[in-house]
Amino acid sequence: MTSGSTLTLDGVVVPAAGSVLDVVLAAGVELPHLCKDDNLPAIGACRTCLVEADGRIVAACSVAASSVREVVSGSERAVRLRRGVLELTAAMVTPGDTSGGPLGVTFRDTLARAGVADSPPDAPQPRSHLDASNSFFTFREDDCILCGRCVSACQALQHISAIGMAGRGRATRVTPGADETFRQSVCTSCGSCVAACPTTALSPRMEVRP
Amino acid sequence: MSVPTATALPVRSGLLAGLHARNSADGWLSRDAVSEVARACRIPVAEAWEAATSYPQFAFAPPIPGPQICMGLSCVLNGAALPDGAVATGCQFRCFDAPAPGADAAFPEAAIRVAGPLLEADSDDWRGFEQASAMSRDEALAAVVGSGLRGRGGAYFPVGRKWESALAEQRPIALVVNAEEGEPGVFKDRALLGRRPRRFIEGLAIAMRVLAPALTVVFVNGEARAARESLEVILPGCDAVLPYSPTVISGGGGYVLGEETTLLNAIEGRKPAPRLRPPYPVESGLFGMPTVVNNVETIANLSVLFRNPEAFRPSGTDAVSGTKLLSLSGRIRRPGLYEVPLGTPLSDVLNMAGGPIVGDITAALVGGPSGGFLPPTEFGEVLRPGLMHPTGAVTGSGGIVVLDSSSDIRMAALAMAAYNAEESCGKCTPCREGSPRLHALLTARSPGPLEPLLEVLGAASLCGLGQMAPGPVRSALFFWPELFS
Repeated sequence: MTSGSTLTLDGVVVPAAGSVLDVVLAAGVELPHLCKDDNLPAIGACRTCLVEADGRIVAACSVAASSVREVVSGSERAVRLRRGVLELTAAMVTPGDTSGGPLGVTFRDTLARAGVADSPPDAPQPRSHLDASNSFFTFREDDCILCGRCVSACQALQHISAIGMAGRGRATRVTPGADETFRQSVCTSCGSCVAACPTTALSPRMEVRP
Repeated sequence: MSVPTATALPVRSGLLAGLHARNSADGWLSRDAVSEVARACRIPVAEAWEAATSYPQFAFAPPIPGPQICMGLSCVLNGAALPDGAVATGCQFRCFDAPAPGADAAFPEAAIRVAGPLLEADSDDWRGFEQASAMSRDEALAAVVGSGLRGRGGAYFPVGRKWESALAEQRPIALVVNAEEGEPGVFKDRALLGRRPRRFIEGLAIAMRVLAPALTVVFVNGEARAARESLEVILPGCDAVLPYSPTVISGGGGYVLGEETTLLNAIEGRKPAPRLRPPYPVESGLFGMPTVVNNVETIANLSVLFRNPEAFRPSGTDAVSGTKLLSLSGRIRRPGLYEVPLGTPLSDVLNMAGGPIVGDITAALVGGPSGGFLPPTEFGEVLRPGLMHPTGAVTGSGGIVVLDSSSDIRMAALAMAAYNAEESCGKCTPCREGSPRLHALLTARSPGPLEPLLEVLGAASLCGLGQMAPGPVRSALFFWPELFS
């Protein structure tokens, strides 16, 4: 077989176009991908789209399909590692009752499909701030999994850069301006961050909906 | 005759210099100060803030006054204690003089214990550069490829192949020298820049001749002030060999800057966090240019190579030619810098260094927070690229911390786990969430099995910091399970 034009996915030969994640999703195979947004380049932060490619564990979003020959999406090791990462992610958030944006159910659905339990409602979280300064949306930190989609949408798609990922390690937080509120920042309320958020952290304000 | 000049770096590359200026003038960085620097560098405030707050060296509140005491592992092993009113700092890279005060100072000549071709006294000629200049650029490149020289930052990638890949792009190249020596227990680049600056400059001149880079940046650890000063003293006198003077940028700390794409983000005035690879820096690196990132020791080796090409290849193992600078510290009689051929057994190096201070050597941490512990039964292993033991030990950038009968191996393993958690940049979930959890589990009364978490951290993390973070813990658990039960 010519390397590059096709690859073997779970034993089936498929066209090798785009990223490995594109190929897997096009084949109808279920694979978590919390930080990969259809409108944005791969971020590679959530590490949930792990598959085995030519025997190596890789994040499917960040590998070109043409650079691998064989992908196994459901190998025992890949499933175990995906589950391990999802468990770490689940422990970051306290389940809330907000509705979220258009993709807000993505994270809950992903956990449910993988059979990963929520963290206990009383689990201490390093991030717990609520920013309700914007008229159109709210930002609840304790629902944030730091996937980076909102920041990428704001910086790389809209070129506004109202928000960034301030701090490092567990102190990392999605932060408007120089530790300001959304209202104090240069945010134009374009809504791209809300549209990109896979959790209920960034939620449209119900009271202003038409 | 035209004088080649460097392409100007975009204004946003001035972020670190601007932050340093305000941090030293005010003692800390206020939100207003960061906003002002951001405007001067034409960077959106949120981007400047996310970058600034990622550097451990900057303060975001007025600092607590008091003497600074280094509480790095080697200093703690040698009895460092924190008196009332003193402020603890991380490793200050003076492990050869442990316990050390928490401030930078010039690297002392006496801490060079064993010198080879890299560390022998600087000569006052430019014979190596003249050798390279007598060749065509292609011939000089072929000499680098043929020498088998590999990168000394720790990954041991073939230098010639990296250069060929960047040149094959047929676009203006950026050359970045990584002097962001941030691994606790390693002080070799500070020694080279501070004590053998001409060897480094000659290597840089050779690299600049072969690569003809449009941009050249030397990125120095922000706390290595003495090394930076040494470089700034010598640079003005190097017009004869350097086509133009490199831009010197001081970092703001952070172990993750050893990862090359993180270093490139730092130079670009962005948040120091790793990029996805591919594309690799040789394809698309600094501001999208094909970029060669080489360590200080790698660059200095070019001088050795062109001065005596015949001597270069046979002096190391088959796989890797040349010598390696080892930074020895901890509970060893003669801590300091040792230059030995790659392929030397670890036991030989420990013997050269005079053995333990008290009792016996009980363990050696080889490769620091990204390496692993080895017990004396494994000291026959030779220094080489890649793993020295499947549980984690790597030669890496050459840091070796020795533990003796007075040392607490469990404490040392916990210190490495804590360090990796602290130094996680926070970008990817496995490292950000997994490394603090690993430390918490280790200190818990009944930690349960750790291997599932070690596997996730090692296999799922985005960059080498998380991928190699399991090493110290996994190796300590493997060789001394009783200490953790």
